[in-house]
Amino acid sequence: MKRNGASPWALEFAGFAKWYPIGWLGAGRRTAVAGLTLQLAPGQVLGILGPNGSGKSTVLKALAGLIRASAGSCRIFGHEAGSDAARARVGYLPESPRFPPLLTAREVLAFCAGLSGFAGFHRELRVQQMLHWSGLVEVADRPIGGYSKGMVQRLGVAQAILHDPDLVLLDEPADGLDPVARLGLNQLLCDLAAHGRTIVVASHLLAQADSICDRIALLGAGRLLAEGTPAELLGRESTAVEPTPLEKLFLERFAAHA
Amino acid sequence: MPEATHNGWRAGWRRTGLVARHTLTIAFRLRLALLLGVTGAGLIAGSWELRTFNFGQLEVKFLGDFGLGVIGLFGSLLAVLATTHLFFDALGHGAAPMVLVRPVRRWEYVCGIHGGVATLLAGFVTFLSAVLAAVILTRDGAWSRPHLPVTVLLQAAGVTWLKLVLIAAMALFVCSFTSSALFASCASLMLVLAAQLRRFAPEHGAARLLRAWPDLGILDAGELLAGGRAAGAPWLAGLTLYWAAYIVLFDELSSHVFRRREC
Repeated sequence: MKRNGASPWALEFAGFAKWYPIGWLGAGRRTAVAGLTLQLAPGQVLGILGPNGSGKSTVLKALAGLIRASAGSCRIFGHEAGSDAARARVGYLPESPRFPPLLTAREVLAFCAGLSGFAGFHRELRVQQMLHWSGLVEVADRPIGGYSKGMVQRLGVAQAILHDPDLVLLDEPADGLDPVARLGLNQLLCDLAAHGRTIVVASHLLAQADSICDRIALLGAGRLLAEGTPAELLGRESTAVEPTPLEKLFLERFAAHA
Repeated sequence: MPEATHNGWRAGWRRTGLVARHTLTIAFRLRLALLLGVTGAGLIAGSWELRTFNFGQLEVKFLGDFGLGVIGLFGSLLAVLATTHLFFDALGHGAAPMVLVRPVRRWEYVCGIHGGVATLLAGFVTFLSAVLAAVILTRDGAWSRPHLPVTVLLQAAGVTWLKLVLIAAMALFVCSFTSSALFASCASLMLVLAAQLRRFAPEHGAARLLRAWPDLGILDAGELLAGGRAAGAPWLAGLTLYWAAYIVLFDELSSHVFRRREC
């Protein structure tokens, strides 16, 4: 069920800027993002692309309400980012998520579900669903310290979408995932978008962005360099969610070996 | 979809309880708590062998003093180290952002961590107090003597717990504005030392401002043991009020500072 407010935009940056004081008594400043103006309609998938240090994670953190704007504004479904109303509708996967190594995936998901308002039987059910989705049922009661990077990443994505948020923010979600898991993730993002969820993905993987994003924003040194649909930016239609030839080879060999 | 509302005090305290439970789950599995608990228990049990070094005091009094000293010292270390470790582990590993991006207010997060550490400390004090009681009980007729009645031991353990929870609140306050676990641990231990020696602060001049800092000496269980009698209800009520005022102050300060902190 969509719960959009009065705003026609799922997210809206208006002259957003973020800088950090540096040097003696904070006299200098390091600009992370400057003058970002951007809108995204509900149900779309936005890919934020750019090199390291271009401000991708800063943009996602601002949407998640974890950092405040130095100038301008950042709104989600008409609500100021970071407000209770905005946070109730956001799911967030940080870059390279880590969890307490002594806890189990079941405990982490149960904790996140509780904070998101699930209780009792519904909480247990939701945790079980997310364990199934992430393929972690077999290791659900083992300490996370023994998980592979891909398993931790899948757990991170699971906690981000656990409460069925309207806006899903994923910072390098394919980081550490093998081709099979990456294709599964792409399919999941397409499914979420098909169900009306708005998704923002910060990624280094250009092929992934090309295949799943409705719109792409190119960031460089904290500035928006280009923004539009892949067709507008590339002058051609976007490709479907299909594996590349190398990925096809990997999948065939993996399937034969398995 | 989630069935509970995110607004209201009830939802807030529910989330605080969840964070506290989560913190406690991690804390109980830390090797630090196990190490300090086992070492403390070993020392208290070993005090039986050290009772000849009683400085002329009664044997039971020495055992009680020594045991509560171990609980206080190891408990202070646990309060500071567990608080700083849990706080910065969550911040540094990205677990805190995944919590704070949900409708969890900063005060709920801070109070939740404090609640989890306080519960850990309750378990720690209870365990070591039980060992201490067993050591004293081993000595024939100790419970029937007026030197250390069971109510005094219980009160001493309770007052020690109050002191440790206040130390954890001070450490949490330091954590709220620092960026290094090591620095926060060292600074917190220095502040604990200052609070322990606070009664020696001058009563005149600018230095008397130091008297605003909590006096941990008031919460020394040794004072109770020296009397050998259970403290009266008015004294305990006054002590608890003094403690509660500082707990509210430190948690409020921590929440206020942490609210302005970006993750």
